[in-house]
Amino acid sequence: MTLLIEPSAAPEPDDVSVPASRPAEVAGRSLRQLAWTRLRRDKGAMVAMGILIFITLVAIFTPWICNALGVDPYTFDGTAVDPALGSLPNGPWSGASWEHPLGVEPLTGRDLLARLLYGARVSLFIAIVSVIITAVVGTVVGIVAGYRGGKWDTVIGRTTDLLLAFPQILMLIALSGVLTQRIEAFGLSTENARITYLILVFSFFGWPYLARLIRGQVLSLREREFVEAAIATGAPTRRILFKEILPNLWAPLIVYTTISLPTIIAAEATLSYLGVGIVEPTPSLGKILADSVRFFTVVPSYLFIPGTVLVIVVFSFNLLGDSVRDALDPRASRL
Amino acid sequence: MKKATRSGFRLVALAAVGALALAACGGSDSGDSASGGGEGQKGGTLNVLTLSEQFQHLDPQRNYTGIDLAFTSGFLNRTLTQYKYASGPDGVTLVPDMATDTGTPNEDSTQWSFTLRDGVSFQDGTPVTCADIKYGVSRTFATDVITDGPGYALTMLDIPKDAEGTSVYKGPYNTDATNDAAAFDKAITCSEDGKTITFNLNQAVGDFNYAVTLSAFAPVPKAADTGEKYDDVVVSTGPYKISEYAKGQKLTLVRNENWNQDSDPIRKAYPDKIVVSFALDAAAIDQRIMADSGEDQTAVPLAGAQPENLAAIFAAEDPRFSERSVDASDPYVRYYAINTEKVPNEKQRWAIAAATNRAELLQIRGGNFAGTLADGAISPTLGAAFAPTGLWDTLLGQKIPDTGDPEYAKKLIAESGEAMPELTYQFPNNPVDEKMAASLQSSLGKAGIKVKLQGIEPGEYYGIVMDPSKAEGLLRSGWASDWPNASTVIPPLFGKGEAFNLGLVNDPAYDAKVAEAKAISDPATQAKAWADLNVEAMKHAWIVPTVFGKTQYVWGSKVGGAFMWDAYGSLPYGNLWVNQ
Repeated sequence: MTLLIEPSAAPEPDDVSVPASRPAEVAGRSLRQLAWTRLRRDKGAMVAMGILIFITLVAIFTPWICNALGVDPYTFDGTAVDPALGSLPNGPWSGASWEHPLGVEPLTGRDLLARLLYGARVSLFIAIVSVIITAVVGTVVGIVAGYRGGKWDTVIGRTTDLLLAFPQILMLIALSGVLTQRIEAFGLSTENARITYLILVFSFFGWPYLARLIRGQVLSLREREFVEAAIATGAPTRRILFKEILPNLWAPLIVYTTISLPTIIAAEATLSYLGVGIVEPTPSLGKILADSVRFFTVVPSYLFIPGTVLVIVVFSFNLLGDSVRDALDPRASRL
Repeated sequence: MKKATRSGFRLVALAAVGALALAACGGSDSGDSASGGGEGQKGGTLNVLTLSEQFQHLDPQRNYTGIDLAFTSGFLNRTLTQYKYASGPDGVTLVPDMATDTGTPNEDSTQWSFTLRDGVSFQDGTPVTCADIKYGVSRTFATDVITDGPGYALTMLDIPKDAEGTSVYKGPYNTDATNDAAAFDKAITCSEDGKTITFNLNQAVGDFNYAVTLSAFAPVPKAADTGEKYDDVVVSTGPYKISEYAKGQKLTLVRNENWNQDSDPIRKAYPDKIVVSFALDAAAIDQRIMADSGEDQTAVPLAGAQPENLAAIFAAEDPRFSERSVDASDPYVRYYAINTEKVPNEKQRWAIAAATNRAELLQIRGGNFAGTLADGAISPTLGAAFAPTGLWDTLLGQKIPDTGDPEYAKKLIAESGEAMPELTYQFPNNPVDEKMAASLQSSLGKAGIKVKLQGIEPGEYYGIVMDPSKAEGLLRSGWASDWPNASTVIPPLFGKGEAFNLGLVNDPAYDAKVAEAKAISDPATQAKAWADLNVEAMKHAWIVPTVFGKTQYVWGSKVGGAFMWDAYGSLPYGNLWVNQ
């Protein structure tokens, strides 16, 4: 996966042997441009990207969308459920109607569309923030370990080993009660404390993977001629790190983030399902799924719709991640 | 009966047992005798399915959960008296069990005597004597070892108390010189022949013969008592004995050869074997019983059906289920307690009650299947002591609609002259309770009352809220009488220092009236006194009653003798048989 983005030497413009009919830009593309071109040719990746952009926009504008549709995720609607049926929704498809386009949650009568939109927003927010923190911490630590070497490398290396050896899920379940209470003690609401807890935990356990990856890259990069040349010309360390090494780490970073985003969304769903993630009244994709499972025989669409949304989001991210990796890797075969 | 415990729901890996109705009791009308008819048959294996990992306690002195008592009283533990196996109100009729009659009180009901039948024995064939019952009761006094059981022996037996108000007798395991065993010997006396047992009480208890239906008054052979460990190896006096008890997996009961049918007027002991399967998924239990194939045809659940399946079983009037299901009132009053130490201002407690959207809470519990809106601590299933309290009509100053009145609540807060404290609502973490919590948060929020939610792992729930240092402002709960007398409701809920006084109510004037009511010997007058005290408790808004509960059961098609047994609000486990 080692990539080099070297200053591209522009071909001689007055090369008369080039036939006039050949498009001029063939010669002048950087690797980044090449990757973009390859990615654009990948129809699956483009569809996935389109879906993701759409979902992100919807997540950002959720409050306005819900307002426009007149639905709210926290309003209980007793008229939408039938007391004679044990408060199951009125009618098929979770009681879908103009008032509640995707129907309502059984027992409470809360609007399913609104909960789904807000839920996706919460899930995406947690995933994106966690990935950003992971990426920053992982990259910095990886570069330090790889570039400084020696004691730094040993200490960081053992620390990451230690973290990777932790039984994550068990820790998450065991610590959730205590830690969220500690976070709440800082003055956060329960909802925000839960979200913060999940972000902290995903970041805390996420960075070691990236740090190892980056360290490996940096180890090989620092022996390259262009780095040695920079050192020889007396460039300051900051310049070497930011101008020479960091640009060569974009590829693994992009690949890492696109692949870890869906992992975190799925992990959040799992944790909320187990009861240690997001709690009432806040919705998240995982929370909605956890609630809906019990009802799958009586209100199938309640499980089916949020389940489908989760699958589409995770699948799109994975597809895009794969395609980005293929596009960035010049040695990958393209069929 | 007792505190409303588990039932509920089980998330995939975590046992999130919840607090939806468990037991049920009370005036049932729909399908109660459906499969109670027919002739009992001997033989076969009865399968019992439960989501619990184990019985809370099999140890008779520690067993205090309605469902567990209903189970053990049918198979393992005999007591002096017991309830009749009958559907409808007849299910709380007292009948003699080990005793020859339902007990003889002295003139002022401070002394009760029971005579043992011939032929009553332990599983090893040793006859049960007065000394064994006396030893069993003595274990309740070892409060450091024998935990979780009812405390009636402690509060009712005539044994002096020390300066701290604890009994001078500390149970059979305490070998200190200060342990006054002689005082206990005076409180329970045995006749020469060991056939007659006499309880001397420190107060008049007109219905003490109901108290002895609790297995806390069951015999334990001294030689076999292993203290805390006795929980797993109880010596049976009933028609079955434990052959294998693997917690989290199964409990197998086989016939007790030394049980004598002639000595037992209640139990018929139809099946050859009873197998309890533990740790099943709540949804799977319902699905298996509803599907009714193979072994599940002889299966019964320990808990009620899950809310999501109720419409399929009952609302559709499906002929597959009409003969093997029951939907009836249970004896539980669902409520949430207001911690009077956190909210000492009565007007503010009124405001909390007035703001509560009770209709929404009932809807989330399951609409018509959940029961009816409650107006007090005494359930209609208690009969004479129940009377409408008028809580929602007049007690709070004006009529409060079922959906709550946030504007009036705001007015009450303004009148209280203090700022409303920020509150935390504690509830056992399960899918239904957490939604009710969200509803409460939203309805109180409309009145400007800020509520934080704190879900607690269900197995730890009561341990936390019964600890005054951990209890927050609003505490979800449920309670049912221990026997059909509100003396097992009003005092434990509102008496100073009582374990289930979750709101930490401390009102000496009220306690004095409770003591007066306890001393009334005429049942009708006493019932009236309890009804008045119920109204007074509501007027102080110590609790906010929400639902008088209902429970639904479904069982396998080859199970006979099933109905809603009002005594414990459960199936009559000891009365079931298997149709071959």
